[in-house]
Amino acid sequence: MTLSGTLLSALVLTPGTVGLLLLLLAPRDAKSLHRWAGMLASLVTLGLALLAWSRFDPADPAFQLVEARPWLPSLGISYRLGVDGVALVLVLLTALLQPVVMLSSWKQIDDKVKGYVASMLILETGMLGAFLATDLFLFYVFWELMLLPMYFIIGVWGGERRVYAAVKFVIFTLAGSLLMLVGILYLGSLHKASAPGTWSFAYEDIARLSIPGGEGFWHNPQLLAFAVFALAFAIKVPVWPLHTWLPDAHVEAPTGGSIILAGVLLKLGTFGFLRYCRPLFPEAWEAATPLFVTLAVIAIVVGALVAYAQKDLKKLVAYSSVSHMGFIMLGLFAGTVTSTQGALLQMVNHGLSTGSLFLLVGVIYDRRHTRLLEDFGGLARVMPLYTGAFLIATLSSIGLPGLNGFVGELLILLGSFRTQPVAVVIAATGIVLGAVYMLTVVQRVFWNPLVHEANRGLADLTWQEVTAFAPLGLAMFWIGVYPMPVLSISEAAIRRLIGG
Amino acid sequence: MTSIDLFAIAPELVLVLAGSVLVLAGAFLPSLRPRLGWLAGLGTAGALAARWALELPGPVFSSALRVDELARFVDTYILAALLLVLVMAEPYLARTGARPGEFHALLLWAASGAMVMAKADHLLPVFIGLELLSVCLYVLNAYHRDSLVSLESGFKYLVVGAFASGLLLFGIALIYGATGTFSLRAMAAQLVAPPADATLLLAGLALALAGLGFKLALVPFHAWAPDVYQGAPTPVTAFLSVVPKGAALVVLARLGAALAPQALTPRWVLLLAVVAVASQLLGNLVAIAQRDLKRMLAYSGIAHMGYALVGVAAFGAEGLAGVLVYLAAYTFMNVAAFGVVSAFSESEDEPHRLADLAGQGWKRPFLSFALAVSMFSLAGIPPTLGFVAKFLVFKAAVSEHLVWLAVAGVLNSLVSVFFYFRVVFTLYMRPLPAREPAFAEPWPTRLVAGLCTLAMVGLGLVPGWLVATAEQAVRALLE
Repeated sequence: MTLSGTLLSALVLTPGTVGLLLLLLAPRDAKSLHRWAGMLASLVTLGLALLAWSRFDPADPAFQLVEARPWLPSLGISYRLGVDGVALVLVLLTALLQPVVMLSSWKQIDDKVKGYVASMLILETGMLGAFLATDLFLFYVFWELMLLPMYFIIGVWGGERRVYAAVKFVIFTLAGSLLMLVGILYLGSLHKASAPGTWSFAYEDIARLSIPGGEGFWHNPQLLAFAVFALAFAIKVPVWPLHTWLPDAHVEAPTGGSIILAGVLLKLGTFGFLRYCRPLFPEAWEAATPLFVTLAVIAIVVGALVAYAQKDLKKLVAYSSVSHMGFIMLGLFAGTVTSTQGALLQMVNHGLSTGSLFLLVGVIYDRRHTRLLEDFGGLARVMPLYTGAFLIATLSSIGLPGLNGFVGELLILLGSFRTQPVAVVIAATGIVLGAVYMLTVVQRVFWNPLVHEANRGLADLTWQEVTAFAPLGLAMFWIGVYPMPVLSISEAAIRRLIGG
Repeated sequence: MTSIDLFAIAPELVLVLAGSVLVLAGAFLPSLRPRLGWLAGLGTAGALAARWALELPGPVFSSALRVDELARFVDTYILAALLLVLVMAEPYLARTGARPGEFHALLLWAASGAMVMAKADHLLPVFIGLELLSVCLYVLNAYHRDSLVSLESGFKYLVVGAFASGLLLFGIALIYGATGTFSLRAMAAQLVAPPADATLLLAGLALALAGLGFKLALVPFHAWAPDVYQGAPTPVTAFLSVVPKGAALVVLARLGAALAPQALTPRWVLLLAVVAVASQLLGNLVAIAQRDLKRMLAYSGIAHMGYALVGVAAFGAEGLAGVLVYLAAYTFMNVAAFGVVSAFSESEDEPHRLADLAGQGWKRPFLSFALAVSMFSLAGIPPTLGFVAKFLVFKAAVSEHLVWLAVAGVLNSLVSVFFYFRVVFTLYMRPLPAREPAFAEPWPTRLVAGLCTLAMVGLGLVPGWLVATAEQAVRALLE
């Protein structure tokens, strides 16, 4: 068997296997063993992701590096992995963020390190698997596999109200995904009812089906099936008004958990819309477009306004996520190639900028044990390196030209204007609001006079924190100046997915 | 009666003989008493080996019993559950000082009763098997006879069990009145053309369903379950929660295949569906309010039989294969849960409080992990066997155009997540209490927990063999 025949399996299973081995075999007190094993596994995974990139042919819109093995043949369930341009971009993002997460919790997580590292690694397997699965059953298994580690990460290593946040996260997520399971079953049964007469959950088989439509909502199978998929994904994104779990989960999660939650988990929602809702249910997508465009615009504006009203820095970043994810949803539902490419690029950008903002908020919280804006001021003089890093992340987040956020937002607005002019005009105000609340933060935390004595002796970034931020910062500049790699590897796949 | 007939029921014979030897040895050879558990285990393993070594002759004893692939599947299920319960019982017997011989013998005899039920192709063996099973369980429930709750449990099970037997018997009588035969095959042949008036037959079937519903603890025949589960010795609770239910579901499947009630009346499927959803709803909602783990698991069991009944309502090869896989999954989940719960309680008399688990996840990683996995499996989270089982029954429902039944099922699963995750949360996210309870963690408990965890995760990841065996078993019934 050649390497490319098992490359994706190796990529998906490496972190989870290391995590399980740690859990079962490693002694409980060997903390540095756990940390180094976690780091090493993340780096190996990153290496495998880069290897997959090097083997990837951007001109081919179909799934590549395909693996298919029968799993439950009588039920048409198989273990199928494959990568297209969209999945590859997000896999690279995931693999890049994982070592950052490991670094960000190097010293910060000192209790039950083994469980933490193992949870993070199993979570990575779930995320990579959900991006790479090309069988709906397998996709669902990986989708749910993400739930348990995240539940533990929030519930065990989280803040004061961690249990409330963890339970809310689980109930919200499962409410969506369990109904999606019925949707998956329905699609499988449609395949059985069609010509071959056998069950199949393979993505390519399902995509060939034409799902019957109908009048109204309750008598329209395609719209109903779309609705259960869309609900699961919309909760994950989260689309306003299903976003209420997000601020709780973000605020209570430990820094590493917040980074991965904002960086990757939310992207699974938008990825689901693009990979599953759009190509499988084209007419329902058409019918639902006005609704989702409206919700996206509301999320952009309301998210930004609520973020502006926050006193807690982490909560502010969490609400800014709601606003940014609104842009991505707008780009997806506007439906042009340009806007969809912008949405994909913005998924990466949001992962980088919000990920680094959570990382940096974590840094200051470790030193001061508060995240309230009013407890800071004048940090620029005490922590120059930290101020620089925060400024880069902020400017990336609000879309300054030359940094990554600008390219993504521009492509979304440009691409969407042709189909959704009104929405674009309102959404553009979100950019202004974004600048307002983020620059206010910078002003209050870094420039205002240094009034709190406790802030005077704060230490600047350590080498460990600089190393954690560096790859993210570099990627922001790189994408800002030269976004072509992301755009070119995904273009063929996007054209296939949106049928353009 | 020919020798082939006797070979066909060799596993039952082995169990009955082993039980008799155990009783005699327990009475006359006191020095052997601590080792009787091994003897019981040997007998069970022998029965299991016999079932797989001997070929399946099909109908035996003038077609009263049918030893087919379905029978083999259910026998394997019952004997595996019995083996796990026997291992689980070792620390219980050692701790309480209860006499071992009769305890083991009653378990073995009860299992042989369930095995007779599972291969009955005739209504009389159904009843005989059921009585053998129930009478043994009446005694076992009250085995801890110094304890009031255990006595209450035994007495309640006796009264309810007798009532259920009466209903079943009445149902059998009516079915006989309608068809003139006890043999399921003869009924099937007679009902190829449905009769114009099937009232008597359906009334008999409804009564039989009610009788079996008591054994399955389905709503509205569920009220005995929490008290009996709570009071019975924990190994007996584990046995009670899986073995009679498996046997009763198979009887229901065989009855359904023979009488084809869904062809007689369109309301039949609706009736089963309503009972299924009501069981899920009540079981899950009331389980949320429970603070005693054994009671919580009792209500969870009510809900799970509701899920399994979805497969019976959908019927057909897919639905019944789903039910069989569900039974296997349910066995491992429940035995693991009861096994670990019994380790986390100081004595049999004290309530098994949820709060006592606080912080144990980090203190006792092995048992806690097993309990957490069984909770995830009960909640139906992949990659566990519980998920595969739910997937199969819901798939059958969707395939039979009962999408609403699948939707009701997943929504109920969502409700159940709340209390299953609360156990995990108590284990891992609560601080250890100041006064730490003294829990025992003997090797048999660890063995049971380890085996069940391995089965839940292993069969959840690689369910191919189990599903294929279940499908083969169902083909034997429906051909």
